[in-house]
Amino acid sequence: MTGRAARVVLGAAAALVICLGAPSCGDRADSPPYPGPGEKRLNLYIWSEYLPQEVIDEFTRRTGIAVHYDLYDSNESVLEKLQSGVADYDLVVPSDYMVRILAYLKLLRPIDRARLPAFANLDPRFLNQDFDPGNRYSMPYVWGTTGYGYDRRRARGTPDSWAPLFDPANRGQILMLDDMRECFAVALKHLGHSLNSTDPKVLREAADLLKKQKPLVKTYNSGDYENILAAGDVWFAHGYNGQIAKVAAREPEKLGYVLPREGATIWMDSVCLPRGARNVESIYAFLNYVLDPEVDARIVNGISYASANVPARKFIKPEILNDPAVYPPDSALEKCEFIKDIGDATELMDEYWTEIKAQ
Amino acid sequence: MRRRGALLRLHTALVFAFLYAPIAILVLFSFNETSQTAVWRGFTFEWYRKLLSDEIILGTVRNSLIVGAAATVIATVLGTLAALAMGRYRFRGEGLTRNLLYLPIIIPEIVVGAALVTFFGVAGLRLSLVTVVIAHVVFSISYVAIVVRARLSGFDRSLEEAALDLGARPVQTFFRVTLPLILPGVVAGALLVFTISIDDYVITSFVAGVGATTLPLQIYSMLKVGVTPEVNAVSTLLLATTVVLILFAQRLQQPPPERSEG
Amino acid sequence: MSADAGGGRSRAAYPLILPTWAVLGVFFLLPLCVLFVISFAQRGTYGGLKPIEDLGAYVLSGKFLSHYARSLHPIYLQIFWRSIWMAVVTTIVCLLVSYPVAYYVAIVAPPRRRNLLLGLVVIPFWTSFLIRTYAWMFILRTEGLANRLLMAAGLTSHPLELLYNDFSVLIGLVYGELPFMILPLYASLEKLDRSLLEASADLGAPARETFRRVTIPMTAPGIAAGIVLVFVPSLGQFIVSDLLGGAKTILAGNLVQNQFAVARNKPFGSAVAFELTAAVLLLLLGYAAYTRRRGEDVLL
Repeated sequence: MTGRAARVVLGAAAALVICLGAPSCGDRADSPPYPGPGEKRLNLYIWSEYLPQEVIDEFTRRTGIAVHYDLYDSNESVLEKLQSGVADYDLVVPSDYMVRILAYLKLLRPIDRARLPAFANLDPRFLNQDFDPGNRYSMPYVWGTTGYGYDRRRARGTPDSWAPLFDPANRGQILMLDDMRECFAVALKHLGHSLNSTDPKVLREAADLLKKQKPLVKTYNSGDYENILAAGDVWFAHGYNGQIAKVAAREPEKLGYVLPREGATIWMDSVCLPRGARNVESIYAFLNYVLDPEVDARIVNGISYASANVPARKFIKPEILNDPAVYPPDSALEKCEFIKDIGDATELMDEYWTEIKAQ
Repeated sequence: MRRRGALLRLHTALVFAFLYAPIAILVLFSFNETSQTAVWRGFTFEWYRKLLSDEIILGTVRNSLIVGAAATVIATVLGTLAALAMGRYRFRGEGLTRNLLYLPIIIPEIVVGAALVTFFGVAGLRLSLVTVVIAHVVFSISYVAIVVRARLSGFDRSLEEAALDLGARPVQTFFRVTLPLILPGVVAGALLVFTISIDDYVITSFVAGVGATTLPLQIYSMLKVGVTPEVNAVSTLLLATTVVLILFAQRLQQPPPERSEG
Repeated sequence: MSADAGGGRSRAAYPLILPTWAVLGVFFLLPLCVLFVISFAQRGTYGGLKPIEDLGAYVLSGKFLSHYARSLHPIYLQIFWRSIWMAVVTTIVCLLVSYPVAYYVAIVAPPRRRNLLLGLVVIPFWTSFLIRTYAWMFILRTEGLANRLLMAAGLTSHPLELLYNDFSVLIGLVYGELPFMILPLYASLEKLDRSLLEASADLGAPARETFRRVTIPMTAPGIAAGIVLVFVPSLGQFIVSDLLGGAKTILAGNLVQNQFAVARNKPFGSAVAFELTAAVLLLLLGYAAYTRRRGEDVLL
């Protein structure tokens, strides 16, 4: 009885696995990793919540190319995967400073502008940045700022600086991003310095400020801070503008976004091609697709982050176009800076960050 | 004695309540009307329906099952052989082997994961479902060995000797006498491996490649970004399936039959 | 201890054990060696490794030990201390909570119920660990179940801070490790010879004495096994402190994960990983010596 029953169980289990594992079940999100000749496929490595599913589906409908994507929530993951040399992505979407690092490490292949006629749709103000002069390796995707969301009922008046995040009166009601550079950026800006400072004295000052702040912080979270804010668990949530704008749009009387007057991080995420990318045809098909103003607008409408695509503005929802959180006025951006790599000062900052977290 | 028994029973009941509270919540909220996981809004099967058409999650479930099945088969075979070697023979390098088998369990998962991804990088082995399977096999062999070994102790070898005396060849003896008798242990070990493999996050996060996202990886990234009750639905289904499997295995775990069965 | 059968050394074992040695040798020992070697290297400017010009000078200058030296700084020692402390508290709480349960199931409960109860202990283990941890966030948050119940029962007047602190991390760890303590204890208790307990009672010892002087010593192997099975994973964990601790505390596991994932400092991360491993191996050696003295190994 035992032997026979065991064989039945094993047989059933094997049958179940074979049946579920069979590629004929037509699941395009899980086709075998290595495409056969002629099979059209695209492997994306992209931030979570950066591409609405319906935009992907439409692409597949139009071109017949199967899209597979993996998600990440930190730039370092991109560096990790590309450096390991054994990951297999066709497109990645790193942030500004990471593009520079990847280009420096020769992990990217240049973009062939000749194959992207619609590149002209992009606002020249966003091109030719420090991190990629001439846009050899990157194409702007979306951009934004890192400020904080707040609960209107709890804040006194309308905040316009970083001060509430350091105010002992708000103890236990503060959320900070779990990101070393972003947290230091807040401290440095609040102290009146550049967020790319490498001066050890300045960094020490910022570290001390963050250490003083820690007992006031409820949690460090880079993933779903907007939900924590919306659920009422904290009154102030450090975070990226798009996600906060999204939840604020649902409850505008309750939530708001602040781009502090001391300045904040402005960032831009760009599409890049890893050097080992294999499905080159698919890549350019996808890039052209995304540059299409209507498609770009659908992305912006879906994820609440601003793009650099000028003709797309016609199709973007007015609530988003007029939302200062998503499309801030130029005056607000004056004191904002891009995060730049600080070279060897990174190790010092990492030690301070460990100090802060360990206390 | 009766009073002490009551106290013990109360304590045990409380511990069980503690163990099951999150599970109950998990299952309950898979039926929640709203995706705001904080409040209960109403009963619905919507999340299960969404789950069945969610290609992404289904894809990761499929990956998990494939990895689980492959790792289970390989690890069970290797582990059973190892248990037999440890359990019946004295051989040179025995102590070393025992320590080798302990290491994967003892060494923290994060160290194993880091070592494997570094090694794969150095060896130029592309990350994929295969590297995940390799990683899972590595940490599973020891579990099977331990479980089967436990089954082997107190094993009555006279049955095997009788078979050999009656003229059966060693291989025959193994498949027709030994294996059926240790089978409950082997099956238990296999189930253990399968479960651990299905739920492994740490090591898998280091070694998974494109298209090799398993369910725990998917769940973790969803947890970071904002959970929908679909995740609850998947877990409830997995829970139900494993409970059924376990109940089945329980029946197989009856004490070894006296004589001629199996 | 190991082989049950009598007889001397046998060659028959080799073909059985060779595949395991092959797989573990190549995919376990070798990677660990690679990691060990890397712990002596230096971080390149963008992660990766800095190429070493002069190997001889590098070794002689002692620079190759830089990461191990760095890990001895007070800040890291503080992290290790907290991790050990957390693991110790988790283990003790687990032990105290589990022993009565194991005792009840093994000795007090009617025999036909035992399998069912054991099954109930194990079933939570069959759900996703991540989800169960997440469920605790749910229960412990400001407007979560625990606070609502406490306030409804009138025990508290305003919500307690139950989440994102050491308390929630402890709960998460104990919750995850409980079956690993209950099962070895049960295994040990089940083998207990009842007649010894009866004899002790007959000789006039009160229940507490019997427990202290007969039960505990006789179940020591189970206790030891449980301690090892709970302490080790608790030491290296990082998910619970990440999710339930609000990423506010950095424990040894977080440090390693951080160095590999964010700080991109593989050499330093490897050094810390090996120190963690060394601590664990010391524990294992202690356990091995203990079982050798007692003459019985519960596991292999």
